[in-house]
Amino acid sequence: MVDSYRPKDLKDALRIRGEYGSTPLAGGTDLMVRYQSWAGTLPLFTNSVMFVGHLHELKYIKKIENSLEVGGTATLSMVADHPDTPRVLRDAVLSIAAPALRNNATLTGNICNASPAGDSVCALYALDALIRLEKNGSSRELPVVEFITGPGRTLLGKDELVTAITIPLKNSSIDNFTKVGTRRANALSKLSFTGIADYKNGRIDSIALTFGAVGPTVVRSVELEKKLLGLSRAELKAGKESILSDYSTVIVPIDDQRSTAVYRKKVALNLLDKFINEVADYE
Amino acid sequence: MGSNIALKEDDIKGVKMAAKISIPVLRIDAREKAGGWTHYIADYEFDNLQHGRFLRSERARAKIIEIRKPDFPEGYYYIDASDIPPGGKNNIQMIKDDWRVFADGDVRYIGETIALILGPEKQIVLDLLNQIEVVYEDLVPSFTFQDALSCKGGAIHGTDNIFAEFLLNIGDVDNAFPGAVRVVEGVYETGFQEHLYMETQGIVATWEDEKITLYASSQCPFYIRKSVAGTLGVPLGDIRVKQAATGGAFGGKEHFPDVIATPLAVAVNKIKKPVAMIFDRIEDISFTCKRHPGRISIKTGLDRDNNIVAMEIDTLVNGGAYESSTPIVLQRAIIHGLGVYRIPNARIHGRAVATNTFPSDAYRGFGAPQGLFAIEMHMSHIADEIGMPVSQFKRKHFIKTGDITITNAKMHDDVKLPGMLAKIEEMSDYSEKVKKYEDDPLRGIGLSFVNHGGGFTGNGEQAVIKGVVKMKRLEDGKAGLYVSVVEMGQGLQTALRKIASKELELDYLDIVYDNPDTDIVPDSGPTCASRSTMVVGFLVQECAKKLKIKWDEGVGAEAEHVYTHPEEFVWEQETLQGDAYPSYGWGVNVVEVELDPFTYEVKTTGVWAVWDVGVTIDETIMQGQSSGGVIQALGYASIEKCELKNGAFMQRTMADYTIPTSLDFPEVHTVFIDNPYKYGPSGAKGAGELVFDAAPPAYAEAVQNAIGKRIYEIPVTPEMIMEALR
Amino acid sequence: MKEIKFVLNGKEVSVKADPLKRLLDVLREDKKMTGVKEGCGEGECGACAVLKDGVLVNSCMIPLGAAEGSEIITPEGIRDTEKGKCIIDAFGTAGAVQCGFCTPGMMMATDALLTQNKKPSVDEIREALSGNLCRCTGYDLIVKGVQIASERGKDLW
Ligand SMILES: Cc1cc2nc3c(=O)[nH]c(=O)nc-3n(C[C@@H](O)[C@@H](O)[C@H](O)COP(=O)(O)OP(=O)(O)OC[C@H]3O[C@@H](n4cnc5c(N)ncnc54)[C@H](O)[C@@H]3O)c2cc1C
Ligand code: FES
Ligand code: FES
Repeated sequence: MVDSYRPKDLKDALRIRGEYGSTPLAGGTDLMVRYQSWAGTLPLFTNSVMFVGHLHELKYIKKIENSLEVGGTATLSMVADHPDTPRVLRDAVLSIAAPALRNNATLTGNICNASPAGDSVCALYALDALIRLEKNGSSRELPVVEFITGPGRTLLGKDELVTAITIPLKNSSIDNFTKVGTRRANALSKLSFTGIADYKNGRIDSIALTFGAVGPTVVRSVELEKKLLGLSRAELKAGKESILSDYSTVIVPIDDQRSTAVYRKKVALNLLDKFINEVADYE
Repeated sequence: MGSNIALKEDDIKGVKMAAKISIPVLRIDAREKAGGWTHYIADYEFDNLQHGRFLRSERARAKIIEIRKPDFPEGYYYIDASDIPPGGKNNIQMIKDDWRVFADGDVRYIGETIALILGPEKQIVLDLLNQIEVVYEDLVPSFTFQDALSCKGGAIHGTDNIFAEFLLNIGDVDNAFPGAVRVVEGVYETGFQEHLYMETQGIVATWEDEKITLYASSQCPFYIRKSVAGTLGVPLGDIRVKQAATGGAFGGKEHFPDVIATPLAVAVNKIKKPVAMIFDRIEDISFTCKRHPGRISIKTGLDRDNNIVAMEIDTLVNGGAYESSTPIVLQRAIIHGLGVYRIPNARIHGRAVATNTFPSDAYRGFGAPQGLFAIEMHMSHIADEIGMPVSQFKRKHFIKTGDITITNAKMHDDVKLPGMLAKIEEMSDYSEKVKKYEDDPLRGIGLSFVNHGGGFTGNGEQAVIKGVVKMKRLEDGKAGLYVSVVEMGQGLQTALRKIASKELELDYLDIVYDNPDTDIVPDSGPTCASRSTMVVGFLVQECAKKLKIKWDEGVGAEAEHVYTHPEEFVWEQETLQGDAYPSYGWGVNVVEVELDPFTYEVKTTGVWAVWDVGVTIDETIMQGQSSGGVIQALGYASIEKCELKNGAFMQRTMADYTIPTSLDFPEVHTVFIDNPYKYGPSGAKGAGELVFDAAPPAYAEAVQNAIGKRIYEIPVTPEMIMEALR
Repeated sequence: MKEIKFVLNGKEVSVKADPLKRLLDVLREDKKMTGVKEGCGEGECGACAVLKDGVLVNSCMIPLGAAEGSEIITPEGIRDTEKGKCIIDAFGTAGAVQCGFCTPGMMMATDALLTQNKKPSVDEIREALSGNLCRCTGYDLIVKGVQIASERGKDLW
């Protein structure tokens, strides 16, 4: 049996977190399943727990200038319902589980869980989302790519909480989120893909390509993306094979109970292929 | 309860009346279940309830060298084989009794029960369980057909690992093959399938009135009584079993509850306190029986006119570590091996093998889905090879009334397949779509035909079951119905009430029919084999007729009816010759799909079904059976992957063992045709399993039609499609 | 152990328990609300669905402490209301109930859907029920049940 705390507000939460290092529990949809035990017994937490899902100060989504700020306890349903949510994120969030789960689970939880199959994470990587971490007296902001360091691992300090996720709103012309799940709904990902791209004066001005569940973290290669910047439609088309072969070196999935490495890799590349065609054929 | 349910007007509106009994009524159990009033086993309350959990084998095959236990606090128990009382046996009386109540000395599959740990506090039970250390000496396990047939690591069962072996033969296969101008061969494989009833397994065993009484989520209360009495070595009457409302079963609660009931009873016999065992979902997926995986090889010879002249089939099913009902599953698989086709010369060899995997057992269809998948795919492969439309080739070989079946009997049924094919053509536009999709690499459509024998195979109803039903006139113009078959979702409580009330000219709500209690009802047999409506329903109908005659004797008037086998059906069990089933249900399915060329995911865009179940006892209930059976079968054919890794199932949670959601498949368009069977109540035949049989081959055919590559295996996963397209 | 207050089916209640105890267990064991079922304990099946502050959630993943101060409605809380009766009757008419283990959860999901959308399309119904698994019905008749409820109950939601 472990202790649990229910802070009355954010300040209290930061204090408790600083003092006891309690595990924040928001929707509980990861934690309660991870520590699940025999029905009727307590979940097998080993560290003390702090409930944060009720913290109203963090239960918001708002547009601030050219960004969307998602509060640290905003639920997936809130993200899906907000009119300014970028389409790839909305699609990603709506691909997670089913309504009852999305009503309770938070975006922060999906990120902090740091699963390579986290669907919102695949989109957030492509959107260059920033994670705001706060502790008693200070705060810092990290790009999501840096924040997540490995499967289940993040740079979250023992005394910190995630209080917001900031998503720059770019209004990209071409975007796509595709999830390949174990069934058509309420499914975990075998793999996922996000692509976002834009042209300026006939040349690629911005591009982001991310792949979920094909490596220890969501895969995004800024280096490879750089090679695509400045390409014209024709150059993109002509260079497709070499782009695919570049990406085939960074996509290194594994076999597990949901799918095979071969399938994951092949389909990830198919989706990339399809997206490149879409970009090359745009307008 | 439930007696004041009034039927709304719309409940009857718009129903086409095939026969009066088919008009839907409000299901007797609907309201109480929907509102959460119904108590399932986990909802019961008992004083002084103890909670049990199994110590399970972590090895597929090993000797147990030592079991190191912590000290047990007062009131906590470790129950194992040594607690079985003198005169009892460490065996579970199923059909055979090879399955042990507690593993003793060695273990034969992962999850095998070694001991039962129990006590008042669940957490303490868990803590004790975690402190127990079993020291094993590993032996060489055997998992695959090949392992089993080569007796890898030494035989697990007998001297050859063969639980059962049968040979069926008609005509002269050896002489017919040389006359063939073309031979087509294929090997067809089907996987494990988990029942995934929404209510997990659960039993509470109690000590009441100086007697062991078990409350069980179960299909077969009398099976539990038999197994518990056998284990304890007491007369059957010393054990009482009461069925609790059962949240789905599909075969999974036919024999498996015995595996829970026997250790619980051993414990209750010792401590005289109630003990509950309710499985968690992970436990239920990891450690309960699955459908038998099958491998079926078929070789077919054709003459110049593309008539099948000979067929040879070799059928293997994996029974796991203990026999359970495996031989009978194998019988059904091979008896359904020729599907709905008349083959003049055919030989089917069937073997069921033992491996160190969780014992396989009954699952809706009971072997028939494996056999039917193989023959249907094979027929489509032959059609492909000779360039004939599948529907034409299949139709050309339809069995007809009076034709000889694989067990050398006449097909007695009035076979209406051609009409059913015409009906489904009209509904689905099948042939038009076949043409349309010929050059479409992404769309496909499949067509399957099946039949399913109703009731126990051969003379099982006569020789083994001898079902009995009773009825009695009660106060207030009501009648009591006493049968051992159970409601498990299929609508039986409503169907049997309708059957009885029709004869008695009563309102169906005036039939009193409670969940069976073995101290009260006679043994009308288990709830399985699509027998409950057809066989037991007929007994109910006949019994009600008898009671009708005695009705005027007043309250207390009783009638009983015992099964008698219709004389025109003969059977020889030794040789499996004769009328394997008195009648068959028949079905045709069409499934239409669309492939995503980037992800190889398949979207099902249309599903149609035409069934001949004799007469539907209730059109709405049967509609529910059709939709439910077809969708469950489409899951089996597509997303329900269940693989073994070193003897353990890899998919252990509901997140990983995926069953269809409301978004996976579209509506099943269903039509029932009328074809009354004279020994069925109001003409009804078996239906519960039939509705499962047809969709898997229709789905696989649709996919192969889309991708232009033959499919030999289900589930057809996107991973397989990708490989096929490489 | 802590004393935790919340509103259950319209009444304020207080439960003495570990705040990490699953709401599902609190409802079933402490409050005898057995209309809430456990089908999986891992958020997959929806048998344990309840309304929390008006929205559908799965009670197997919510620790009691996270429900403090909230309003919880279980099947027991709606089955005798006009809306509840409407859904139950509609399910009966449609033949939506087979083994019934999923059905109380389906009723909760239906109420949540109709609250948001009085006249949902078939696709919207299937989407709204996608977290409530049913092994018996294949969903067709449940979808029909929801349609009937939406028709008959057009003045209720
Ligand atoms: C049935 C089911 C289906 C699912 N399907 C999908 C799916 O399809 N796709 C998918 O991506 N995911 C899926 N998930 C996982 C998804 O529900 C979670 O990742 C969810 O988003 C986590 O949110 P939560 O609020 O419930 O997190 P919690 O379980 O409360 O917490 C998750 C992690 O985040 C940490 N955390 C939470 N809040 C904070 C904070 N403010 N500051 C710091 N750390 C914090 C916790 O300590 C914990 O480590 C599924 C889960 C279940 C049970
Ligand atoms: S028991 Fe909660 S979702 Fe299955
Ligand atoms: S009716 Fe049985 S699970 Fe839905």
